[in-house]
Amino acid sequence: MMAPMTKRLIIAAALTACACGAAFAAAVVTVDQKGIAFSVTSLTVPKGGFVRFTNSDVTAHNITITGRGGMVNGGLQQPGQVFKAPFMQPGVYQVTCGIHPKMKLSVVVK
Amino acid sequence: MPRHLLAGFSALSLLVLLGSAQAGDALNLPTPEQRQAFRRPNVVPSPADNPTTPEKVALGRALFFDRRLSASGQLSCAACHNPSLSWQDGLPTGIGHMGARLPRRTPSVLDIAWTEPLFWDGRAATLEEQAKGPLSGAAEMNMAPARLQAQVRADPAYVRSFKAAFPGQPIDVDTIAKALAAFERTVVSGQAPFDRWLAGDPTAISPAAQRGFVLFTGKASCAQCHSSWRFTDDGFRDIGLADADPGRGKIVPGLPILDHAFKTPSLRNVAERAPYMHDGSLATLEAVVDHYDHEFVRRPSLAVQMKLLGLTREERADLVDFMRTLSSDDPPAAPTKRPTG
Repeated sequence: MMAPMTKRLIIAAALTACACGAAFAAAVVTVDQKGIAFSVTSLTVPKGGFVRFTNSDVTAHNITITGRGGMVNGGLQQPGQVFKAPFMQPGVYQVTCGIHPKMKLSVVVK
Repeated sequence: MPRHLLAGFSALSLLVLLGSAQAGDALNLPTPEQRQAFRRPNVVPSPADNPTTPEKVALGRALFFDRRLSASGQLSCAACHNPSLSWQDGLPTGIGHMGARLPRRTPSVLDIAWTEPLFWDGRAATLEEQAKGPLSGAAEMNMAPARLQAQVRADPAYVRSFKAAFPGQPIDVDTIAKALAAFERTVVSGQAPFDRWLAGDPTAISPAAQRGFVLFTGKASCAQCHSSWRFTDDGFRDIGLADADPGRGKIVPGLPILDHAFKTPSLRNVAERAPYMHDGSLATLEAVVDHYDHEFVRRPSLAVQMKLLGLTREERADLVDFMRTLSSDDPPAAPTKRPTG
């Protein structure tokens, strides 16, 4: 059973100020982690949208997001857990796994 | 006999047969999924901004073996990445400029075309970036970029080789690193007995090694990290070695599980690459298996995969036998002299 692990992200610049009210209507795109890879290598989300990272691997992952001069560290994500990241400002963000840096995903926020 | 008892008996018989197969002498064949997961690739990759060409490889080979690329004139890349020693140096930790002892073991160049990021702590994203590190590192080859470029530009043979490999581009640290990376991408491990067994030859590895593979992918959990045809997922973990080196924790601060974490190395040709671990602290494969079985340090950053295994002496021996089947039979590459003018 999935154990939601929505974490509050603290970062200057792009990813701060997750307005909970706005989140209700925000677009949510799901990206899975399986076979030490993201299910997609790039995606576009609207400003204020969320990316919901699932972990279908048998090993732990760590979502690390960089862009617009800032970095978000999502902490340890065990198999089955979900990490939800808000993208509040337009720009290009790079997502990787701190444990498996070969995993790469580019997120364009418009 | 009642039908349900017959069914139970049949199931029991099947379990007994399966159990016999697991403990038998020649029936531990890989599953189709394992054949797929551990199958060798057919193509050696290279990046779009530095595609491999014969000219770059020839130039990179010459540079790799050239001691003039170090400030002392005594160290080439091959001084530490010795092809006769599986592209390592056989030492617990490397030796750098003027005999200085380096803090970590020299990684192998073998199959590095598939490896990223580079270094034990993953601080270099690409092989091209990695190649610049030891050249200029004060503790390693200690060669200032300006001096390195001047040294190479002064050699007419190198000037010709660069013109062929990088037409219209200058001889600088970037093209030197690109040539070195192009050559290193040609260093690929050969077919090993394990590959022949995976391809369907049941006699290519011993029954003990076959049992070792079952342990490797099962009870011992090795394949959770040592996965893929290179037997690594290129991940970083704290495996409980007692030294104080922060490893990737220094590169990616703020994630406690990366404290003392190091790159999971490939196991190709591992039997020829002692001593083991990032600090070269374990002399034999037997000691490595003992470490994973029970001898690791418990601390908060310890990888979740590290658990007491409780392997028997026979099981530990089987695991070592399996790892020995990952060594290719091809002879070591011969050193190449620099081009002469």
